[in-house]
Amino acid sequence: MGDAGEKSKKPGNTAFKQQRLPAWQPILTAGTMLPTFFVVGVLFIPIGIGILFFSDNVTEHTIDYTNCYGQGGQTCADVLKATPGKFTSCECEPITFDLKKPMHGQVYIYYALTNFYQNHRRYVKSRDDVQLSGKWNTEPRKDCEPFHKDKGKFIYPCGAIANSFFSDVIQLFKDGQEVPLIKKGIAWETDLLYKYKTPDFWKNAQGVSTASQWAHITKPKAWGKELWEWDEAWGKELWEWDEGVEDEDFVVWMRISAKPNFRKLYRKVNYKINSTSSPGSTLGLPAGQYKFKINYSFPVTNFGGTKSIVLSTTSILGGKNPFLGMAYIVIGAVCLILGILFLVIHINYGKKNYIQPNDTTQEDTAAAQSGEQSSQAQGSSHTIHQVTT
Amino acid sequence: MTENEAPAPSNDESSKTSSEKRPSKKSKVSAEAKQFRRIESNKPQTRKYMSNEISSGKYTIITFLPKFLYEQFRRYSNIFFLSISILQQIDGVSPTGKFTTLGPFLFILTVSAVKEIIEDFKRHRSDRSTNTRRVTVFKGNSTSEVTWADVQVGDFIKINNDQGFPADVVLYSSNDETGICYIETSNLDGETNLKVRQAIPATANVKDEDIPSITGHIECEEPNRFLYEFLGKVSLDGQHEEALGPDQILLRGSKLQNTQWIIGQVIYTGHESKLMKNSSKAPLKQSTVDKMTNRQIFLLFLLLMAIGVTCATLSLWWDGTIGSKMWYFPQDTSDKSYGFPLTMCTFIILFNNLIPISLTVTLEIVRFIQAKFIDKDLEMYYEVSDIPAVAKTSNLNEELGIIRYIFSDKTGTLTQNVMEFKGASIGGIFYDPDSIGDSQNSPLIKKMKKNGKDAEDIKDFLIILAVCHTVIPDRSTGELVYHASSPDERALVMGAEKYGFAFQSRTPTTVTITVNLGTPQTEVYELLSVMDFTSDRKRMSVVVKRPDGSLALFCKGADMMVYDRLSKDSKINSEKMVSGTQGHLDAFSRLGLRTLCLAIKPLQESEYKAWSQEYHAASVNTANHDKAVAAAEERIENNLRLIGATAIEDKLQDEVPETIATLLKGGISIWVLTGDKQETAINIGRSCNLIKDDMQLFIINQSSINATYELINTYLDKLHSQYGEQIPEDIDAAVVIDGKTLNFATSKAVKADFVLLCTSCRVVICCRASPFQKAEIVAEVTKKTGKITLAIGDGANDVAMIQKAHVGVGIAGVEGLQAASSSDYSIGQFKFLKKLLLVHGAWNYNRIGKVILYCFYKNIFFYIIELWFAVESGFSASILFEQWSIAGYNMVFTSAQPLAIGLFEKNVKAEMRMKFPRLYVENQASFSMTIFMMWVAVGLVQSAIVYVMCSVIIGHGIVWSNGREGGLMILGNTVYTYVIIVASLKAGIEIKAWTLPSHIAIWGSIIVWFVFLVAYGIFCASFVTSGAPTDMIGIALMLFQCFAFWLGLPIVVLVCYIPELVYAVMKNHFTSTSEEEQRRFEDVLLEDQDSREKLVLKHESTIAELVLSNICF
Repeated sequence: MGDAGEKSKKPGNTAFKQQRLPAWQPILTAGTMLPTFFVVGVLFIPIGIGILFFSDNVTEHTIDYTNCYGQGGQTCADVLKATPGKFTSCECEPITFDLKKPMHGQVYIYYALTNFYQNHRRYVKSRDDVQLSGKWNTEPRKDCEPFHKDKGKFIYPCGAIANSFFSDVIQLFKDGQEVPLIKKGIAWETDLLYKYKTPDFWKNAQGVSTASQWAHITKPKAWGKELWEWDEAWGKELWEWDEGVEDEDFVVWMRISAKPNFRKLYRKVNYKINSTSSPGSTLGLPAGQYKFKINYSFPVTNFGGTKSIVLSTTSILGGKNPFLGMAYIVIGAVCLILGILFLVIHINYGKKNYIQPNDTTQEDTAAAQSGEQSSQAQGSSHTIHQVTT
Repeated sequence: MTENEAPAPSNDESSKTSSEKRPSKKSKVSAEAKQFRRIESNKPQTRKYMSNEISSGKYTIITFLPKFLYEQFRRYSNIFFLSISILQQIDGVSPTGKFTTLGPFLFILTVSAVKEIIEDFKRHRSDRSTNTRRVTVFKGNSTSEVTWADVQVGDFIKINNDQGFPADVVLYSSNDETGICYIETSNLDGETNLKVRQAIPATANVKDEDIPSITGHIECEEPNRFLYEFLGKVSLDGQHEEALGPDQILLRGSKLQNTQWIIGQVIYTGHESKLMKNSSKAPLKQSTVDKMTNRQIFLLFLLLMAIGVTCATLSLWWDGTIGSKMWYFPQDTSDKSYGFPLTMCTFIILFNNLIPISLTVTLEIVRFIQAKFIDKDLEMYYEVSDIPAVAKTSNLNEELGIIRYIFSDKTGTLTQNVMEFKGASIGGIFYDPDSIGDSQNSPLIKKMKKNGKDAEDIKDFLIILAVCHTVIPDRSTGELVYHASSPDERALVMGAEKYGFAFQSRTPTTVTITVNLGTPQTEVYELLSVMDFTSDRKRMSVVVKRPDGSLALFCKGADMMVYDRLSKDSKINSEKMVSGTQGHLDAFSRLGLRTLCLAIKPLQESEYKAWSQEYHAASVNTANHDKAVAAAEERIENNLRLIGATAIEDKLQDEVPETIATLLKGGISIWVLTGDKQETAINIGRSCNLIKDDMQLFIINQSSINATYELINTYLDKLHSQYGEQIPEDIDAAVVIDGKTLNFATSKAVKADFVLLCTSCRVVICCRASPFQKAEIVAEVTKKTGKITLAIGDGANDVAMIQKAHVGVGIAGVEGLQAASSSDYSIGQFKFLKKLLLVHGAWNYNRIGKVILYCFYKNIFFYIIELWFAVESGFSASILFEQWSIAGYNMVFTSAQPLAIGLFEKNVKAEMRMKFPRLYVENQASFSMTIFMMWVAVGLVQSAIVYVMCSVIIGHGIVWSNGREGGLMILGNTVYTYVIIVASLKAGIEIKAWTLPSHIAIWGSIIVWFVFLVAYGIFCASFVTSGAPTDMIGIALMLFQCFAFWLGLPIVVLVCYIPELVYAVMKNHFTSTSEEEQRRFEDVLLEDQDSREKLVLKHESTIAELVLSNICF
């Protein structure tokens, strides 16, 4: 039984194997927590005030045009209702809007819809990303059903989202003059770069195309014009001919909203305002009366929704949203109050909380430190609560 | 016993024909009669026996898949995940894609499969190396080398020194003329001492060339698992039969040592060998935590179903009332395919992770490494015998943290099983061996030299010690070393040697000793008959022919056994001497010493002759063997003359008293189950610190059921009057019960009261308990109390108890490895139990509990957000997050945090836990249904906070100064990011000790998510036209530019954690007020110091002093 050659089974003495990895042991007592709460309180209140200031600088005007009147005293909504399931457009009586104070900075025009469930599961998945990415498949994905085929032809772009593309056309006039609106830059760059590409055959085709592909495809059912008709004068183009699915309005629409009530960016107002220093040099809208001319073709009343135009400036935090600022102030205040409460607790009960087996106690100073660095066999101070929690 | 004396073949029918037809019939006739097999020599066997090829593997290539899948799908959770995976394949039903459950599920199955394959491969490989070992087999007139796998029943084989036995073999002969060989059986029973085996004289002269001419047979029992039992007969010529016993059996698993060669015949092969018969699989034990987890999973399953039904109902209602008006929806499909069942399936798929898919794998990894921590603990490594702690199972790691009862064996566990000869009482006079100094001048020797009245007794006393034993002398190392199967025997032989009666050598028929009383003389005692020590007989006797030619019976055994057989004749046994010896015996056992009595009986030649024939007849009687032999032995072991008694000290193991004191303070009740006498047991109890001086003792030692019942109830009434109707569970009292009384106490009528009495007391000592009784008690307490039990022992007799208890701990030590190998955890010393329970157990319980709760929490937190979102998305089961991010939640982004908790969390340091055993009890509150509910509530509240706040801050979508709108994916990924951070921090709050790996797990997971966000976006952008998911393209870019996203983060995290932090602080300050707690800790501290001082005192006074101070004469 030669045990000379046998290896000892003695375990290795490493910090990992012996479970003696150095550890930081944060202690949750009033004493250790109160500085954190004070610091948070002191920091958050000014941050909150700053955020509120940004949010307050944003001006915003909403004009609901759901029930605008068309020609002949009928609301456009009713006109559309008369022809359910068929594309109808109705020219709204111009809607006047008084801007009491000028808007400074870049003004954005949004359309806002309510009760429109873009986030519904069946709606969300009803699209074909491959088709949209410019790779030409003869048949759209099944997800697009039932918006994938019409009269034997494949729908392009297919799916419920594309089918329900917001088709109203909004124009802004000031003193009879059309205010120039910019469409470029409303969509995400990455969407334009990767997700939405017009297929090559489309781009190569000239005008009303003779490309053979046309024979197999057709427009979404709810759309007003055939795809190749869109270059013709028709109010304002929904799709520029040479853009196809790269059309920014279309790309914006296809990025589905989180909630049933949402806004989507429609145009950027390209209008200069007289600033105090140099006239006509900065972006903005001067005070005064404006008229909106709207081509109304997107039905919302049948499902109890509304449509509005929103004029808004932005801050670095985006649109008007006082909540974040308020939250910072409230949380800051709560932390300060808790800090004071903890201070009271700490003064009254704090010291009794330690047991000192080895007389290596950290007094109140321990609270200021972020924690204790305990190494191997060193028996540093322990608190009861570590035991009980 | 010579061949001529062999009686005619026995009249038992079965011995003549053991062909295949008969035995089965016989077994029906009488269950008691054993079945026999007849093995032909040098003839074809009459029936087919098992192959000697062994396979311990679980699977073969063909059976792997079905067997593995069957094992896996016996778990409910796996069936659940499989169902989810299948449901996801139905078109349009799954909200999260087709493979988001199947993928992770296959991954988990693959991990299990790989683990199984690796383990099985190891088994197959070791099987193959065993099966292909070679051995010499006689084939006709020649020999050939065959593999072990090809060895067959009936083969004659030759084994050389240091070779192992390929099967169970009957020893025919060895190079020694008398047929003696030595074997080492450590693989079999862990005992490292050499054992002797001896061929019967009839076969001892068989040589290689005789083999072909053997025409006889062997008849033996059918295979069984008893290592030390064997019954059989051998015949060389087919006519004369000789009895075979355990001494002629060489078992597979043992090795030939110190012997050039042996020849034997194979009787049991392969899985029929006794070794394989013993390798029964330990019963599968499931931990309490696992059972509770299953209940919690069931609750979550109910929650899932409730959510499914509610959401499906709301969904159909919404579709019917509101949704139907939405012209932009794909209406026509909805009517056809969206019935209630499918809608419900959709929601069940959406929320399926409320039952966490990763929990099983996480727990398996955590437990595996926790077990490794136990294996690697230096403080549980026993340097002396190079034995580290070994966790044989990882399923019970956390069970070690909630032990309520410890059942401990005594010998070898609490005591070292190292025996020392501590005293002799000869002829009623006490002699102290410690005072020998110069042995020739000790009072004992002096007296003997005086040739006085006592000299003869003293001499016989020492001769019995030197002759009547089974010790084997070994001079192979040059020095004389004694190999003994029991340490008592060796202690006695060495004791005799000290006084000059040195055992020198033995042959099967003689024992040689040297007597040194000034001048050394060699004396040879001829052994005529040997009656072995067994647990039933509790005595050993030999009939010897003294050098002067006279015959005598020497008997050495337990006091009761010897006293029962003493001659009543007062000329032989004087009253005074017998009672004097009895007084010494009592004194010895009060000191916790083990005692044996020695007796002698002179025999006449004729008397012996007559008896020896009866005895031989009995020993070849295969039918009623045991009874017949016992009766024959009774006939000669009577009318004995008492010579004296011996006292042997059973030394306590290291730190036993301290360990017991600590464990008792840890709220654990300790039961000692021992084979010792009541007095010895109580004294060991005292020296172990189990019984303190001020403790109430309830001694139960009655001779009838009624008396037992009455006594127990008297005690119970006493307790009731002290403590009222409800007796507390940890009274500082001890119950001591005798093995015989235990039979009454565990009878149906008394059992309930007995268990009630015992479970009320902190300490219970059962004396003279048999292995069966030990197991029965453990099972009874386990069943009755529902508390967690731990059994610890070191010997084969503890195996039953170890397997019955919730947790079995084996001591790998002197009595062999059998207990250790059937245990769940094996340690080298009893004292390691302290760290195993107080530190590893408590930590593991805390860790596992937290891991499980955390896994539940993180999934509730994450998936319930989808429920809040459903309210705003028309109950359509629309998903807020990108589908593969969802799949990655458990597999990647929150997989490291539970591991950090499970492996590195230390709520209290090891030193503290060892110092304050009360912490062990407090720790047990860290996992319960209430706490589970609290975690679930935290998950629900946090999910609402995160969703509502994000939806107010980000939900409207205009979150950049360039006026663009974010939409669903920006909200979803913001929520997701916050979820990862909040969930990681939750792990952080639960972790009380942040090690480097914890930091990596918590911060790393958050970083990995951000990296994923970027990388996955880039990946998708590159493969858009190939159909890659497009949702994540550009998200990282837009999200990182969003100030609201960054500013919202601290606010949301704070709102989630302010309540929790305040709760934690308040709890620390105001529940079970700290002042009180501190007082209690001081108590513990002081108590600790006190008991330690006492123990030191106890240890300083040696046993010898105590012996002397106790015995007055």
